[in-house]
This record gives sequence, structure tokens and C-alpha cells, in this order.
Amino acid sequence: MAAVEAGTEARGARRPEWLENIGGQLLAVLTALGIAVLLGSIIIVAYSAGTGVGEDPITVYRAILNGSFGDKNGFGYVLANAGPLIFSALAVSVCFKGGMFNIGVEGQFIVGMATASFAALTFTFLPAPLLVLTVLLFGMLGGMAWAAVPAILKVKTGAHEVVTTIMMNGIATSLVAWVIGGPLRYEDTGGGFNVNLRTDPFPDAAMIPDLGHLFGIRSSARLSWVLLLALLTAAVMWFVLRRMRIGFEARAVGASPGSAQAGGISIGAVQIKLFLISGALAGLVGIQQLFADQGFLPAGYEAGIGFTGIAVAFLGQNSPVGIVFAALLWGVLARGETSLQLETDMPREFIIILQGLLIISVVVTYQLAKRRLFARQLRRAAAVEDLRDSEAPADAGPSEGSGDEGEVR
Amino acid sequence: MPLGDIGAAIGIALTYYTIIYVTGLGGLFSERSGIVNIGLEGMLIVGTVTGSWGTAELTPELGLPWGPLLGMMIGMVAGAAFSSIHALATVTFRVDQIVSGVVINLVAVGVARFLSTIFFGQATQSDSGQPRMNPLDLPLLSDLPWGLGKAFQGLSPMVLVALVMVVPATYALSRTRWGLRLRSCGENPEAARSLGVRVAAYRYQGVLLSGALAGFAGAFLAIEVNLSWNEGQTQGLGFIALAALILSNWNPIRLMAAAFIFGFAQAIPLRLADAPIIGAIPPEFIRMTPYVVTIVVLAGFVGKVRPPAAAGRAYEASGGG
Repeated sequence: MAAVEAGTEARGARRPEWLENIGGQLLAVLTALGIAVLLGSIIIVAYSAGTGVGEDPITVYRAILNGSFGDKNGFGYVLANAGPLIFSALAVSVCFKGGMFNIGVEGQFIVGMATASFAALTFTFLPAPLLVLTVLLFGMLGGMAWAAVPAILKVKTGAHEVVTTIMMNGIATSLVAWVIGGPLRYEDTGGGFNVNLRTDPFPDAAMIPDLGHLFGIRSSARLSWVLLLALLTAAVMWFVLRRMRIGFEARAVGASPGSAQAGGISIGAVQIKLFLISGALAGLVGIQQLFADQGFLPAGYEAGIGFTGIAVAFLGQNSPVGIVFAALLWGVLARGETSLQLETDMPREFIIILQGLLIISVVVTYQLAKRRLFARQLRRAAAVEDLRDSEAPADAGPSEGSGDEGEVR
Repeated sequence: MPLGDIGAAIGIALTYYTIIYVTGLGGLFSERSGIVNIGLEGMLIVGTVTGSWGTAELTPELGLPWGPLLGMMIGMVAGAAFSSIHALATVTFRVDQIVSGVVINLVAVGVARFLSTIFFGQATQSDSGQPRMNPLDLPLLSDLPWGLGKAFQGLSPMVLVALVMVVPATYALSRTRWGLRLRSCGENPEAARSLGVRVAAYRYQGVLLSGALAGFAGAFLAIEVNLSWNEGQTQGLGFIALAALILSNWNPIRLMAAAFIFGFAQAIPLRLADAPIIGAIPPEFIRMTPYVVTIVVLAGFVGKVRPPAAAGRAYEASGGG
């Protein structure tokens, strides 16, 4: 009896496993989206009742979608904003694959902006394509340098990366504030009084060419080659994580450091490599605002993309393809702020609440789905191997006692 | 001039100490119960906007000091309510505690803006100059010579509360049954469970307490220090509190020292900018010292810290809770 059941289950699992995986993930995300929309509707109704503005959920959600799909410029804005989010989420996901949490994408991207700005203002003698490449390279190097510190500390001293990256974020903010106010400060005030703290303007050769005009799109965030670079990077990361040795090693270390080590993988080396890749990706987050939008590094640069990237990575469930779609969805919501304000009486801040609800429900749904999947795998393993009852499922949980785990705060 | 400035700097340090200590103490209760809380910054933020609203609404009716005081209580309740998301996610749904903390910080910004539009009709600030409690000059200490007395003039009464808070906190944590059980949940939940301690309940209490304390600290910042709500006014103090907590080795007494040192680092750019030697260092470098110190300590170059053994690990009760 048990054998028959196991047989059908195993066959059912073998055939469409990838489909089951993707289907399961999609189901989890859609469920979470549904829950968030539902909770959002409750807030809309409550807000309407409380303030008497008389909005209903359908109007509000339609207005949000209108912002992106109502006109070309809106969608251009979504596309342009997707680039930085993709880089940021990819950076987060690379470390996730290896079982590490890089909260320092924020700091790495800020430092990457400073080093990229430095390159753009220093190597002005280079022709356009070379200068752009140099700028990208320096951005990546800056991010890598900032990521190297927590990575090396983790491997050499066991300092947990979550805490060290949080601290590195704090240092990065102050350091770059100093760079903008000191070494890279805008000096050429042209005789006028200069109140805006920022760097010198970048040479034209450093700027990344616009794409939006090809489609007749004009938006405040300029649609440029950055988006294509981000998509290309997502494809490369898919290849690296799926088809290359480092991707396999990352998954092995992420799944079980103990077994990975027993299998001859040097955990420390893998962790450092992953962190460096993550930092390099993080270093590209600021490229859009520096070299497509602004043309200089202002003291009031747009911060927080490193943290938003964490949300987008969850939403995309750490897969490069998922992340691309998640970045677009996030952008659609963000764009909805404007149209919400124009078309309804809901405060635009409702969007941030909705994003928050979405991310909370994704995290919880995914956790529950994983636990069910986990329980099913256990049952399956128990049936297939014809073992006795699996030992207490709780013990197979997160703690493997790999020495490193003891430091988890 | 230098000593007078040092006095004033100590005064500012005491104010920052209050925020860092109270927030850090919240994190301490949470982490000693086994739940890592990197959402302290978000809980501070929720405290600022709700506290500011509380004092603005209540002071005209209740007068001083009750309006600001109740405002801080409102911040406290709001912080606890907000932290219940973290508790629900990590204790009940066993979501990764770091993940949940990150989400808390992300969501807090939106919650604060949303509440602000409802409270103040604008998303990023309240009216300035909202009522606060009458500041105190401490007797005797405020008469200290050479300008050192400045440190103890014009202090918020809440600074005194934060200075003596260590007594009940230490007592509760190490001298009561509740504290022992709370700590046992953070060190070895399985053993605690086997002795009949309801791990989930204690972890809920730890997290809610952290939200309440951080919310209170946030409200203190908005009401007593800035006299208004402004987006971004917490300036990462929640993370500095986290740093102080690590530096203190999760000990409420050592947390006092860490909070004061980090508070003083905040005060240096404000009051000692033209002092010799210190004045020559760019203020940005002084602001980053708490983070640098924490990294150095974490890496084990100086001293050694040991977090609660089970902090960060979900506890899965087999059987009822």
C-alpha cells in the first residue's frame, strides 16, 4: 500500500518537477498578491469610512494601474526604474543562494556611486564608450570593496554578515557624505552662490545614451541602456547560478554547509566569491541615477534602493527571471503614487503601505509554502526509503550546528 | 571655552543616550527572548510620528506635562502594536527573523507617511514647535563650575527616567522568575519548553516590549528633542542602538556605557566642532565611529561578544505551544 502510493507520488514529482517548482512559486506569489490587495481594500474602505472621501477599492486599484498602463511615459518610467531594482535584487539574491544575507547592498551601492563618480570626473580624457566602461567598472569595484569587508570578516572571524553589513551601511552614508562635501565637491559655482552640495557635473562622454526617444517616451527617470544592461545581467546571473560551478557550490553551501564541506567545497572561498559578486552587482545600482538621470552625484541622492532590492528579491523569490518581473511590478506600484494622487482622494502614501503588505504577505506565504513542501518531502523520503517514521521534523530545521551557525544573532 | 562646550556636549550626549539606551534595552529584551530585532529603526520611526501627534492633540486639553507624557505613551503603544507584526511573523509563522526585521524597517517608512497625512495633512513633517515637557535643571549638578554644569541644565525629565531604567530592567531580567524564563527562551528554548515554559508567549513579550520601548524612544525624540515630526529624524539611531546592544554584550548595565559613548559621538559634531584635535576630524568620520567600533568588536579584535545562543533561531514546538 505504502509502496504504491510512493510510486505514484514519485512519478508525479519526477515529470513536471520544474513546472511544479515554478507553478508553486507563482501560486505563492499570486496568493500573496491577492492577500495584499484584499488587505489594501480593507484599508481603502476603512480610510473612506473614516475620512468620508468616498473611494472604493476598484477605483483606487484602477487608478494605480492607470499610472503605468495609461500612457507611454508612465510605462517608460516603470521600465527606467526597473534597472536599479534589478541590480539591487540580484545582488541580494546571490548571497541568499549561498545562505547569506547581504543587507549591505545599500552601503555597497552608495560607495559604488562615489567610486563611479570619481572615475567619471578623473578619466575625462577617455572616449565615450571607454569612459562608460571605466565608470561601470569603478562602480563595481567600489561595491566589491565594500562587500569584501563583511565577507572577509565572516570567513576569518565569524562576525555575522547581517550585523557587519548594517554597520557598513552606516559607515558608507557618512563616508560618501564626506566625499561629496570634500574631495569631489562641486567647485565651479560660476560666481553664483552654490547651495546644492554635489559633485562636479560629469562629462557628456560618461553619460549613458538615452533609449526613450526611440519610442517617443519622456519621463523623469530616463529610459536608457541601463535597463538593457540590467536585463543582460539578469540573464548572465541566471547562467552563472544555474550552469556554472559557483552556482552549484552556492546552492550546496546554502542548503547545508556541513554536507558542502564534506563534499570538498571550501565554504569560506564560496562565501567570499558570492559576496564579491553581490557587491559588484550592488555597485551598478546607482548608475541609472548618476549617468542617466542626474549627470552628477548630489548629496541628496536617492537612497534606500539597496533595501528595496531586498523586497524585490523576496518578491521574485531570488530567481533572476522572477526578479525582473518583481522589479516591474514594484515599479508599477511606485508609479501608481502619482496617478493615485491625480485621480483619487486616497493619499499617495497608500502605495507604500500596499508595497509593505505585499512584501509581508509574500514572506509569510512563502514561508508557509516552504514548510508544506518541506513536510511533503519528508513524507516522500520516508515513504520511498521505506524508513520508519521520520524522526521529529523539528530537528531537521534550520540549525545544523555547523559552527558558523552558533554565531547567528 | 572648551570646558563649557564639553558640558554642553555632555548634555546633548545625555539626550542621545536616552534614545539609544531605551531603544537598545528594547532590543535587549527581544534578543534575550531569542528574537533578533533589526527592526528597531522602524519601531523608532512609528514612535516619532504617533508621539508627535499625541502631544499636539492632547496638550491643548490636558496641559503640561500630561500632554507630552501621554504623547510618549501613545508612541509606546503604537510601537508595541507595530512590533506585533514582527512577533506574529517570527514567532507564529517562523519567518526568518532578519527578513522580518528588514521588512519592518521598509514598512515603517510607509506607515509613518500614511499616518502623517492623516494626522498632519502632509506626508513628511508636522508643524514645528509642538509642546514638550518643561525642561529641568538638576539641582547641585547644574551648578558645577567651569561650565560643566551646562551638562545638567535644560534636560528633559525623561532623561532621568532613562538613567534609572537600568535598575528595574536588571532586576526584572536577572532577579525575577519572568526574567529567568525569558532568558531561557533565548538560550535554549527546547530545555525551557521541557520545563513547561511557554516559549512563544515569552518571545511575544520580548518583541512587544522592544516595540514599546523603541516607540517610546521615538516619541521622546520627536516630542522632547525636535519638537516636531520630520521624516528621517531618526537618522539611523535604531541601528546605533543595535550597535550599542552588541557592544554591551546584551547586558543592561554595560548598555548604559555603550549608549553614553555613542551618544557622545553624536554630540561631538554639534558642540565640539572647534575643539582642538577633535575639531580637525571631519564630522562625518566622528558619526561613523559607533559602526566602526562595533565591527572591530564583532570581529573579535577587541574583547569578545556572545549573543544569546538561540537568538535568530525559530523555535518549533512539537505539540501545543
